[in-house]
Amino acid sequence: MTPFLQAIGIDKTYPGGVHANQGIDLSVARSTVHAVVGENGAGKSTLMKILFGVEQPNAGEIRLEGNPIVLPSPRAAIAAGIGMVFQHFSLVPSFTVAENVVLGGEPRAGLKLDRKKASDTVRELAERFRLPVDVDVPVEQLPVGQQQRVEILKALYRDARLLILDEPTAVLAPQEVVELFAAVRSLTSQGRTILFIAHKLPEVLEISDTISVMRGGKMVGTVAAKDATEKSLARMMVGRDVALKINRAAPGIPHTHLCRISDLTVKNDHGLNAVSDVNLILRTGEIVGIAGVEGNGQSELFDAIGGLRPIASGSVELGKTDITHISVLERRAAGMANIPEDRIATGSAGGATVAENIVATELTDTRFVRHGLLDLKSIRAHAVKLIEKFSVRVQGPESAIGTLSGGNMQKVVVARELSSEPSLLLVSHPTRGVDLGATEFIWQNIAKARDAGAAVLLTSADLSEILALADRMIVLYRGRIVAAFVNSEEVTPEVLGSYMLGFAEQSAEERNAALA
Amino acid sequence: MTQGRLILSETGRIVMAAIFALAVTLVIIFFASKTPWATFETFVTSPLSSKRTIGIWIDDSVKLALAGLAFSLVFQARQFALGVQGQVYIGGLFATLVAFSPLGTTWIALPAGILAAMIGGAVIGFIPGYAKSKLGANEIVSSLMLNYIAYDVCNYVLRVYLASLESGLTTSASFPPQSIYPAFIPRTRVDFGIVVALATTLVVWFLLYRTAWGLKLRLTGHNARFAAYSGIRSSFIMVSAMTAAGAIGGLLGAVFVQGTAYGKLSIGFEAGMAFEGILITIVARNRPLAIPFVALGYGYLRQGAALMNYRADVPAEVIGIVQGIVILLVASSFTVPGKAMLARLMGNRTAASRATS
Amino acid sequence: MNEIIATILSATFVAAVIRTTTPILFASLGGLLSDLVGSLNVALEGIMLIGALTAVIVSAHAPWYIGVLAGLAAGGLLGAVMALFHLRFKADIILVGFAINIIAAGGTVTVLTYATGGDKGTSINIPSKAVPALDLSFLGNIPAIGPFLREVLSGHSYLTWLAAFMVYAIWYFLYRTPEGLRFRAVGEYPPAAEAAGIAPNRLRTYGLIASGCLAGLGGAQLAMFSFVGFTRDMTAGRGFIALGAVLLGRRHPIGTMIAAVLFGFFEALSIALPGILKWMPGELIHTIPFVVTVLALMLSSRRKVTA
Repeated sequence: MTPFLQAIGIDKTYPGGVHANQGIDLSVARSTVHAVVGENGAGKSTLMKILFGVEQPNAGEIRLEGNPIVLPSPRAAIAAGIGMVFQHFSLVPSFTVAENVVLGGEPRAGLKLDRKKASDTVRELAERFRLPVDVDVPVEQLPVGQQQRVEILKALYRDARLLILDEPTAVLAPQEVVELFAAVRSLTSQGRTILFIAHKLPEVLEISDTISVMRGGKMVGTVAAKDATEKSLARMMVGRDVALKINRAAPGIPHTHLCRISDLTVKNDHGLNAVSDVNLILRTGEIVGIAGVEGNGQSELFDAIGGLRPIASGSVELGKTDITHISVLERRAAGMANIPEDRIATGSAGGATVAENIVATELTDTRFVRHGLLDLKSIRAHAVKLIEKFSVRVQGPESAIGTLSGGNMQKVVVARELSSEPSLLLVSHPTRGVDLGATEFIWQNIAKARDAGAAVLLTSADLSEILALADRMIVLYRGRIVAAFVNSEEVTPEVLGSYMLGFAEQSAEERNAALA
Repeated sequence: MTQGRLILSETGRIVMAAIFALAVTLVIIFFASKTPWATFETFVTSPLSSKRTIGIWIDDSVKLALAGLAFSLVFQARQFALGVQGQVYIGGLFATLVAFSPLGTTWIALPAGILAAMIGGAVIGFIPGYAKSKLGANEIVSSLMLNYIAYDVCNYVLRVYLASLESGLTTSASFPPQSIYPAFIPRTRVDFGIVVALATTLVVWFLLYRTAWGLKLRLTGHNARFAAYSGIRSSFIMVSAMTAAGAIGGLLGAVFVQGTAYGKLSIGFEAGMAFEGILITIVARNRPLAIPFVALGYGYLRQGAALMNYRADVPAEVIGIVQGIVILLVASSFTVPGKAMLARLMGNRTAASRATS
Repeated sequence: MNEIIATILSATFVAAVIRTTTPILFASLGGLLSDLVGSLNVALEGIMLIGALTAVIVSAHAPWYIGVLAGLAAGGLLGAVMALFHLRFKADIILVGFAINIIAAGGTVTVLTYATGGDKGTSINIPSKAVPALDLSFLGNIPAIGPFLREVLSGHSYLTWLAAFMVYAIWYFLYRTPEGLRFRAVGEYPPAAEAAGIAPNRLRTYGLIASGCLAGLGGAQLAMFSFVGFTRDMTAGRGFIALGAVLLGRRHPIGTMIAAVLFGFFEALSIALPGILKWMPGELIHTIPFVVTVLALMLSSRRKVTA
């Protein structure tokens, strides 16, 4: 039988030089769930973007039901019967579910939008594929799990026969995962094919019929789910021992309490609690990792401590200073530094020079500014020093930072934040979209800051990063700490995962043992 | 990019803009004039035809440069406050009040008038900034509204308190000589205004590139979120930039009324010149040191257009069309075929060097 | 004070408000359509001005409605130019808008000079036509409120009724038609529209063209009804006030209309006041619409402040 979808020899090199897909072959059978697994950066997303027409391959062929097709755009993919649900939804917040689903292919009655028909069609579709959702409610009022259903309905409304789900469970609560899987089974039983991207092995094994493993831009192998185990898959995913080893904080050194976060509550942009009653003590010379599914309060927690978001209640003390309500400048003066989640939107001013970006946080330092005047010589010297120390590949300190590659830009941000020799270092997703060489370098420098006595608070979407760096770990679930661990061999991604998804919650005693 | 290459590429851009302007003018003249070549010749050569016209050209350039500097400050902070016109009227009015006060006949008349004008302009600049940072009012609309209000207020004071039958109903009496700039070249408009413009250029450059405030302002303009994250109080920067720009607008008002060209307050004395500062600063890419050169170049075209109005059959207002089209062209990013190719080659080279790192 | 209140409550004043509102309303609705798809149209002022002059000149050689259509077309063309430079050549929309305003200020005077044979001030020697008024004097036959209704509603320009209809039509378009749904989707969250196979830039282009057409109509009303003939800078800030109405109107046609009526009211007041408050200087009365616009913006803005 011809496979429903075939990708043959797909090759993709990004303009920046990253060789994301190298001769990928993939063959997806009709009416099955086919999972593609791999670590972050393995090239899964690139492959899916190619299959959905977002990216164009440099070489290779795509066949749908045996016929070669070209997918110059998502529109072409949709027309060919391929739908995709991204991790970031594209829904119009104020529109109802029905409006969002029919947008772009609206039923009409004369001039008018036929709202009744739209609602009825979407309702039928939802019932048929077991995706229950109230079709007349604005999507902004729906929880994430239901918004995801709307995205799936959008694809089905356009008659997608192949549905690509990009890490669909990453944003879901456990109960929602169960519901999603029920819908997925109902889809395959009705002849639809699912391509499922994931890196959480238990759920992959639960839902898939076939599993393909990618590693470092290559396809490592394809196995039937019934023949696979978590262990065998993990071996394929990791391949060799690539885990970058970072030495933990040396044992036996007394760690003094540096930063005390008490009963911290922070609201999100919609005025809802994003972080609730978090209590945490950070100690000098130690990295505390925060694990959690994206959107469980990590960003808000870091923004609040960093001074970019008001604290609704509770307090944060740094040393003897209460920094709860003080300005960013005062926080920085008190010893805080912050490597932000998004180096382009938050961490740099793209049009300004590297030197200006480096000195931006130090404009009260008399080394660089005296009587309101800039000391250009020392600003330049400082920038040159950091560029050398962090081996940033750049023409010179006068280059605009926006012209640097992602890894080099991140190095500048890290260099700047570490150069103030902070006592409290906030680190969010430090190596997102950064190549392996820079990753290792950045990790080592964070560890160096720790060894110099900084208390580091780290979060990352990449659990292996947290496991590699952190001395203690806490898990945030819906803005609360549900688990805390001292890092050890027993703490695996699976253990963290069960807490991250809210399957389990530690008792207060267990938690406090690792929190104190 | 090194300083030298930067200057080279910026100069190239400005020359490009000048070529655009000449080409557009030529096209318009071909449509508008019965004797296009003669008219174009008048346009291109007449500003240099006499000592007087050269003087007017220089004087116009002084004013254009000041208007450009005022806009450059707010544009560098990425604020679209367009209130220079209103600041000019209020500044001119305040300088006039000082000129007719007891101070007006003393040696302190000029500095006092300038200071008063700058304070008045700063207030007009401050209002939209404050309204934006505290109340979220769009600065484009509020600054434009203030232009109309300032114009009316200026005219009101002029009509009721300053104009008389002897002076003509649309102007005040002439200022006392101590309140008028000394002329550098007799019987021309070349006067102390040049010093004011050059000094302001240096001050604005210094503020933007040598002070912490200027760096904060530019960083806020590049990325306001980054500024907040770095600990820069961007709303203070935003308001102070608009206020400082207002002071320059007010200063321009003083230069208008205190200059030898007027030496008095007249209705509508600014004649729309304030808005031409937008063109100046856009072509100069908001860089203060480039502004005087752009102002001289554009001032020349403007003077050519004005003389063309008298000596040929094309109205001076065509310069508005030229100005608008040049803004459109300069603000656009056209892809020159060769440039894209070059960028790709450069991109590959850096990619390759990264791969080996 | 009583005299002012009596004036405001009089039928003639209400009719005057309707007259002053019409051009602002056209321009505001235009501004709304481009703002909805993400381009703040600061060129309303200039487009009105060019629309006004075009309407005047064309109407001298053609029936009045051709003049009006010409004003509309000129506006639409300018909207298309803005779309070209903003969307295609990536120029900042504010700068593009201002360039159009500057071109309009200089260009209208230039063209006027040629059209009149040398007059740079007014089009007085061009035999331009006026938009006819719609006679509804039969309303006077209705008992009790009839005379009041006749005073208020009769004798307005055809375009006034068109403007009122446009409020409804734009509302219907935005909230009842599939195209309106797409329009709003682009305005609220472009990636969603894109994912649904809609090209945001195409709708933005339509928005800017429609914006220009409506502002052009506003100009035509100004020069062919409010005043008969063109005068230099005759828009006198109305386009900017309309922009204020757009910001005030909460991205909804009804809200925009209310804001336009508010500004129309104060313009009418500034016209009526000199007759009542003889002591008050004309210049200061003239500032009323502008002061009101600034205050209204300050007091009502809840838009997020972005530095």
